[in-house]
Amino acid sequence: MSLDDDLAAWAATVRLRDSEAAAIFEQIVATPVPVTALRLHPSWWRDYTAAFTARMIASTRPARRAA
Amino acid sequence: MDREAEFRGLYQAHRVAVHAYFTGRTGDRDAAADLMQDVFLRVWQHLDQLADMPGDGQRAWIFTVARNLSVDAHRHRHTQAGTEQALAREPVRREQPASATLIAAERVAVVGQAIRGLPEQQRVTLTMAAASGLTSGEIADRLGVPAGTVRYRLSLARRSLAEALLRYDGPTEGQ
Repeated sequence: MSLDDDLAAWAATVRLRDSEAAAIFEQIVATPVPVTALRLHPSWWRDYTAAFTARMIASTRPARRAA
Repeated sequence: MDREAEFRGLYQAHRVAVHAYFTGRTGDRDAAADLMQDVFLRVWQHLDQLADMPGDGQRAWIFTVARNLSVDAHRHRHTQAGTEQALAREPVRREQPASATLIAAERVAVVGQAIRGLPEQQRVTLTMAAASGLTSGEIADRLGVPAGTVRYRLSLARRSLAEALLRYDGPTEGQ
């Protein structure tokens, strides 16, 4: 028996079985994702501010009188 | 791609190497499975951040987390170290084997004990090579060391392992 065969035989005893790996996977995906991880994209605030400012400026224009 | 499918891709791509890394660090496959779960839980929680990275970046991120966790786990186990080292030195008892299966199991135990007795860097490198099938270059990439260093560590580890097996085989084959 070669050294590689011995190593392969040992590795087979320590390697994670597919069923164990699948159980760990299921446990992880069942974990709720913290709210902080679902934060908005950084560009959101810039876009929002620009849109808000445009609306504010538009709202301060004097209303046109009806003829 | 939905969140779970994206996570599944990363999990399948890296779980074997991460588990092998922790097995090398801890010498215990079950403790390694727990640590692997911690790593991938962080992947799951930071998936949005990882999704924007290239493959190299994802791999580097995962193994940085793994290294940090193993340092924490190592500190936690510090008090047990003396006992583990004593166990690693304890000689394997050679009972009269009843079958080829028993002989094979005993040989695997000898290999495992010899690996646990290796210096940590050699143990991690050898375990990653044997249990995950990664090449020297791939291991180097994950450990953040040059490929030549990985090859050197593998060479030393294999030599120690061969000597341990020779000692084990010696009394019967020499007669």
